[in-house]
Amino acid sequence: MGMKGSPICADNSFTGKGKVRAGLKIALFLAGFPLLLALSLLLGPSGIGIPDLQSPSGSAILSLRFSRLLMGMMTGAALSASGVVFQALLRNPLAEPYVLGVSGGAGLGATLTILAGSGLLSTLGLPVVAFVSAVLTLMVVYGIASQGSSGQPSVYSLILSGVIVSSICSSVVMFLVSTASVEGMHNVIWWMLGSLQPVSAGQQLLSAGLIGTALGGIWLLSPQLNALALGREMAHYQGLRADVVIVVGLLFATLLAATAVSLSGMIGFVGLIVPHVMRALFGPDHRKLVPLAALGGGPFLVLCDAVARTLLAPIEIPVGVVTALAGGPFFLIILQRRMQQAWIA
Amino acid sequence: MDSIRMEQDALTFNNVSAGYKQRRVLDSVSFRVKEGEFVSLIGPNGCGKSTLLKTAAALLKPLSGTVELFGQDVQRIKPGHRASLLGVVPQKIDSPMAFTVSQIVMNGRISSMGRWGTPSSLDHDLVERSMIYTDVLGLRDRFFTELSGGEQQRVALAMVLAQEPRIIMLDESISHLDINHRQEVLQILMNLNREKRMTILLVSHDLTLAAGISDRFLLMEAGTLVKAGTPAEVLEPELLSRVYNCDLTVQQDPYTGYLQVSGAIDSLRRRRKLERSVHVIAGGGSGIELYRRLLIEGYEVTTGVLNRLDSDAEAARALNIPVVLEQPFSPVGASAIAKAMEMISKADAVVLSQVPFGSGNLVNLQLAEEALKRGKTVLLAAGIGERDYTEGKAAVDFAARLKRAGALNWNSIHELMAQLQQQPHH
Repeated sequence: MGMKGSPICADNSFTGKGKVRAGLKIALFLAGFPLLLALSLLLGPSGIGIPDLQSPSGSAILSLRFSRLLMGMMTGAALSASGVVFQALLRNPLAEPYVLGVSGGAGLGATLTILAGSGLLSTLGLPVVAFVSAVLTLMVVYGIASQGSSGQPSVYSLILSGVIVSSICSSVVMFLVSTASVEGMHNVIWWMLGSLQPVSAGQQLLSAGLIGTALGGIWLLSPQLNALALGREMAHYQGLRADVVIVVGLLFATLLAATAVSLSGMIGFVGLIVPHVMRALFGPDHRKLVPLAALGGGPFLVLCDAVARTLLAPIEIPVGVVTALAGGPFFLIILQRRMQQAWIA
Repeated sequence: MDSIRMEQDALTFNNVSAGYKQRRVLDSVSFRVKEGEFVSLIGPNGCGKSTLLKTAAALLKPLSGTVELFGQDVQRIKPGHRASLLGVVPQKIDSPMAFTVSQIVMNGRISSMGRWGTPSSLDHDLVERSMIYTDVLGLRDRFFTELSGGEQQRVALAMVLAQEPRIIMLDESISHLDINHRQEVLQILMNLNREKRMTILLVSHDLTLAAGISDRFLLMEAGTLVKAGTPAEVLEPELLSRVYNCDLTVQQDPYTGYLQVSGAIDSLRRRRKLERSVHVIAGGGSGIELYRRLLIEGYEVTTGVLNRLDSDAEAARALNIPVVLEQPFSPVGASAIAKAMEMISKADAVVLSQVPFGSGNLVNLQLAEEALKRGKTVLLAAGIGERDYTEGKAAVDFAARLKRAGALNWNSIHELMAQLQQQPHH
């Protein structure tokens, strides 16, 4: 009785053997990283392989590939970690920055900034405007979802109003695009399709700072995210300020998503796929999951970008198309094989 | 020593009203639970037991009054400290993600762990001890979501035990357990109560079981505390039958002295279709609960005269009860009265609900008078004065006349059912 199933000391994170095995898995994963990144440096529209570093064009190509790698690392990490947080706080496997209207709001803010003009505002101001409009969107979504309930919106009303507000935002973006000048339209559409074209050094530095801060904050919250998996009520009984954790977590996740959107436009699927894959591989403990998802999101996006620029060269496929095409089937396989460990809804 | 430590209150409710935005659930509830007591909170579904627990745990803020935990206002206690005083095992917990059992139980230590959530060896020890106590150590690497409901409940209890609280509240948490584990979990709770002086507040629907293990009972009804006392004091058949709105008996086992509450099954067993019919005079929704109970008890029910748009008319149609209808907003006509009299002449008894009376439906009292003349039993809902909107209180006078002619009064549906059973068959 009580000893059904596994023997006491099977794969267990408390026992030595389990710890070693989990550690080995993580080490393997981390070792695979530089390989993937190096691979991405070999791919590009100018050909496969290391460009001729002696020629000025060759070194320029490599440096461009390298800056895209940095862009991809930042965006991928931000989107993945943001997805982890949304999924944990909403306790819903489908949650990601797009679902709550956060990306849509950030996109609307960014579109307005891009159309409004150039200069400091559109480079350094872009992440800030994106974040502010994303937070405003989140507040609208939260406010709508809270109506009628006893103060706490249900997850379903949050997601429902998020989806609706998100589609309103994208309609407004469409409207703005259709009335914009040709040049403005070109800029916005390119940006909306999502691309890892390097932005200015200043914006990259600012974004790196914002993403780093938010990632650190979320990592600090990770034990609380574990407790919140059992719901707001149980977390409260265990001594958490559950509502504070939820609001702070949502703000950090929004900051990540908004910064990613301002860096590289609308790139879907990363915030959904990477957290699930990481959870399937390493379990749902957020103390491990948050950093691993951030680390895994980068190479995933970088590799997708390398494929996007190489496959039909010299035509560049929008990277969002590749993330969806590559990630979707992979995601389905993982879902089928490891559903039990990934998520049981 | 016991008596000294028993003095401190673990949980105190001072005139607490609580609830949600539009709905007040608790109404001026006051009680105290002393440290080291084992108290069971009982009452029918929806009477506010869960709301009481949520208010005690500061999940709900009282609308008025105060809740004290070991002498401190629970709203002012820091969350982490509160978790070391009070643990709650809810009706059910569910984890959307595939956490293992030991990961779930470790959550009980979250307020005691450091910033980085790294468990100390003490944390590991407490988690393991709680899992041994609740017999889930063998499940520690299983996914929580794969477990049966009873196993999940024991894991939840382990998690709360790992919290090391001084008072544990269990919200109907043992109902999912099989008989073996129910005994075991109760034994664990009793041991904690006796040996560690842990205070236990158990919400239970198993009155017999609760009577065997509790020092005291708190009985709730519709948001109020109707009785607090020893199991023997609270388990009065009449009080329980009224609160639970069904026939309950309380017996004492001659050998063990345990109190045993029963009734539901007995009365179900002998239930069969009664060859009796009751005509109900109702209106304005006052008949719905009567129809429901009478049909459940096995009576044949007829009703009328009702207005076509009345909610009782809707209910009667939905329940397939023969009904005499009249056009809305018009006085009751002769043909409707004749039809109703026909129904009444076939009935064994006529029941008048707590329907408000105005000049439009005063004719229903004439029906009752006619029924009395024909030798039928007539049962009137008491307190007609508060529902009389006729000029010159005509309905009150009418009712007094009916009572002189032999009509009986009823106060609760439970009482009404008993009265009906005593009536002879016509």
